[in-house]
Amino acid sequence: MFGILDGVLERARARGASEVEVYGERSTSRRIKVYRQEVEQLTAAQRQGVGVRVFAGGAVGHAYGSDLGDAALDELVARAVDNAAVSDPDEFAALPAPGGEPADVHPYDERLSAATDEHRIELAMSVEAAALAADPRVKTVEDTMYADGDGEVFIASTAGVRGSFRSNQCYAFAYVLAEEDGQVETGYSYSVGRALEDLDPEGCGREAAERACRLLGARKCPSMKAPVVLDPFVAAAFFGVLSSALTADAVQKGRSLFAGREGQRVAGELLQLDDDGVRADGLDSAPFDGEGTPCRRTPLIGGGVLQGFLYDTYTARKAGCGSTGNGVRGTYAGLPSVRPTNLVVSGPVTPLADIVAGLERGVIVTDAVGVHSGANPISGEFSVGISGILVENGELAAPVHEVTLAGDIISMLTHVRALGDDARWVPAGSIFTPSVVIEGMAIGGT
Amino acid sequence: MELATFDAGLLQATLLHALGRGGDFAEVFIEDRDSLGLRLEDGRIEATSGGRELGAAVRLLSGEHTYYAYSDAVDEAGLFAAANAVAAAVRGDGGPAVVALGAVRSDPGRHPVAVPPESVAVAEKALLVRVGDEAARAAGAEVVQVTVGYGDTRQRVLIANSLGDLVLDDRTRTRYTAQVVARRGDLIQTGHETVGGSAGFELVDEEVARGVAAAAAQKAITMLDSRPAPMGTMPVVLANGFGGTLFHEACGHGLEADAIAKGASIYAGRLGEVVAASIVSACDDGSLTNGWGSQAFDDEGMPTQKTLVIEEGRLTGYLYDRLRAREAGAAPTGNGRRQSFRHVPIPRMTTTYITPGYATAADVIAATPKGFYAKSLAGGQVAPASGNFVFGVAEGYLIEGGRLTTPLRGATLVGNGIDILMKIDMIAGDFEVKTGICGKDGQGVPVGTGQSTLRIAEMTVGGTG
Repeated sequence: MFGILDGVLERARARGASEVEVYGERSTSRRIKVYRQEVEQLTAAQRQGVGVRVFAGGAVGHAYGSDLGDAALDELVARAVDNAAVSDPDEFAALPAPGGEPADVHPYDERLSAATDEHRIELAMSVEAAALAADPRVKTVEDTMYADGDGEVFIASTAGVRGSFRSNQCYAFAYVLAEEDGQVETGYSYSVGRALEDLDPEGCGREAAERACRLLGARKCPSMKAPVVLDPFVAAAFFGVLSSALTADAVQKGRSLFAGREGQRVAGELLQLDDDGVRADGLDSAPFDGEGTPCRRTPLIGGGVLQGFLYDTYTARKAGCGSTGNGVRGTYAGLPSVRPTNLVVSGPVTPLADIVAGLERGVIVTDAVGVHSGANPISGEFSVGISGILVENGELAAPVHEVTLAGDIISMLTHVRALGDDARWVPAGSIFTPSVVIEGMAIGGT
Repeated sequence: MELATFDAGLLQATLLHALGRGGDFAEVFIEDRDSLGLRLEDGRIEATSGGRELGAAVRLLSGEHTYYAYSDAVDEAGLFAAANAVAAAVRGDGGPAVVALGAVRSDPGRHPVAVPPESVAVAEKALLVRVGDEAARAAGAEVVQVTVGYGDTRQRVLIANSLGDLVLDDRTRTRYTAQVVARRGDLIQTGHETVGGSAGFELVDEEVARGVAAAAAQKAITMLDSRPAPMGTMPVVLANGFGGTLFHEACGHGLEADAIAKGASIYAGRLGEVVAASIVSACDDGSLTNGWGSQAFDDEGMPTQKTLVIEEGRLTGYLYDRLRAREAGAAPTGNGRRQSFRHVPIPRMTTTYITPGYATAADVIAATPKGFYAKSLAGGQVAPASGNFVFGVAEGYLIEGGRLTTPLRGATLVGNGIDILMKIDMIAGDFEVKTGICGKDGQGVPVGTGQSTLRIAEMTVGGTG
């Protein structure tokens, strides 16, 4: 692959481009869905391609392609150069300089490469079997999936950036429908890791079933202002939306509710939020980001105070600081953009049982629908549909559904009162969070 | 590589390899996609990006099992490797004979393209995003950020299967979007507007660009005068255009045949039953000329069509791909769609809408003494199994005394698919379609959502006020 990358740099130089970066990707993946103990779908995939970024006097052109033949690479480079001529120059846009030694992270586990399709299928089957066996009210497991990916990325630039690494990951997922007296409720769960041995298929299936079954009999509850306990899946969804406002990109473009608040209290004192690109068990950990900058841990909120933002090369130059290694690329076809790696929520924890016991009246939120559409990351306002368990006098009282939870992100953060002792990884966005207790939320019901 | 002249013998050989150990249907899907994206934010056109991706997928169906392999290599080695990968998943001694591939079918004029985007200089497209930026900023001093996007795609697909079908579909799509942020004091509001179609560069000229951007700006500025929406149960009037998102999410997904087959839909087993008020009829139309969600053929090579799903309140049909149609013994409806060669085709909506009625929008509002008017929805989610949904409202107003009064922010609409369809009691005739990208199973495909202004007699509005 480095041969192809060097060939692209050479072609770009021949067209008069002096600042050029090329990124290559080669990967394979597997996805298995089972339904009623049979393989419903098995997908085997291969992907490879390159993306090239040309900087011409601060104007950026980008082109990508999957055809690595000579003629296609000629066209690719020509397009990138042409596209640069259309983009507007920006004094802060420049080729990333080599950022030093890659982080000492090894996001690759050989055991996963040794797995066979038989192993994978067996694992997916056991997820579904565990869900079906967990409770007689489980009607069906609508989705049972196992998926993994194994990819190698390469980067080279005329500034001297040069590197590659390999990474892999796998996960299992179950989405269960439970039914009782004509009422259907749903529940899901994940298990993630870098090897089949890391996954807990039975736990994943059982938990998805339990999450669906405990909502059976749910009704609306009265409207109230009360504390809520966001379970880790729901908390992760909120932190995911929130994280886009913690990027320098959002700040610099006037799209962040955190702009200008560095050093200020923005959250409950016990809350610590980090972006950690080098955590050993983080699914999105890597030696370097999509611009070749080493990954690292970046504190975002500490002691409830906003500590900083995430940067790629461009936003860092604009702000006069260094990149935090958050120039993330999705695939070879995408441009780097400022995004979190692994988000980690931490702080002093309280056993979940004690949290519940201490609630006079509140709701444990186990599912939130519409966090991504119902929450506005710019204004911070949100209103989402939730399901969960009503708590009264320290006891689980009744399941609730079809009620709304509304507020705004900042007041929600500042009202964080406690963290549970149940922190876990949630793969959508790679977020590690416990249950989060928030005071005085508006619940809209009957 | 040219798809139009692709070696049919190689396709036939690939199908034979795929069926080598069993299975009962094999298909090759080859895609050549060329895309351009321009984005202006903060007054500058950022990194302009374009590219070409080629790839091939081989799919093997064996009973209700699907085996799928894809690769970026569209040559004999790549195709045979994918075919062998799917064949290896089956334990048998060979599938049915492969019917000799017929002549290539295509329907080039189905969604006419007057000006192919590839014939237009990138600089001319850049001009459109610049005039949009100007128009949005001219809308008011409160405008603090403008993001304008232009994108075009030419996707050519070649689909061959063991039934002897050979289809070539050449699809051009163009889209223009504007998002505006307005600010007054601490209050920040956003507005969004878009235009798109299965059409060429003729879809967007400077006037259209200015109009889209100005509309987005107006929404954001209007919402600066908003107050927090109340919570409670009240009549809800859904505006035409973006209001159709509600039907798409709350009902349309439940009509997709994969949800039906798994019993994961409130509409499963209810064909012929009353699922909506008698004034409600609804369609999915993948053949709507130049529609953003339209194509001449779906991604399994079936011609697209207009499917009546609800007729005067009764459930009349589901949306099928080949696999689910075969299982159900129904006719495919041209709804087998995939995001790209990297995705398995599944039943998907195209342009889905409640058909227009006879009232005017003004009548509907005037007939509502007190209620909530949802002009523009921000998107939403639904659990098809229960039919429960939630929607963010991007632009909403209070209705008082049959008139729109205060703009309301932060509202969500919460409810259940069948429940709200039963409660529709007025439909206007101001039909309009909006464009979007619908996500399902990790695949995004272009869809149109539309409707006329209509009223739901009673619905839960969640707000903060």
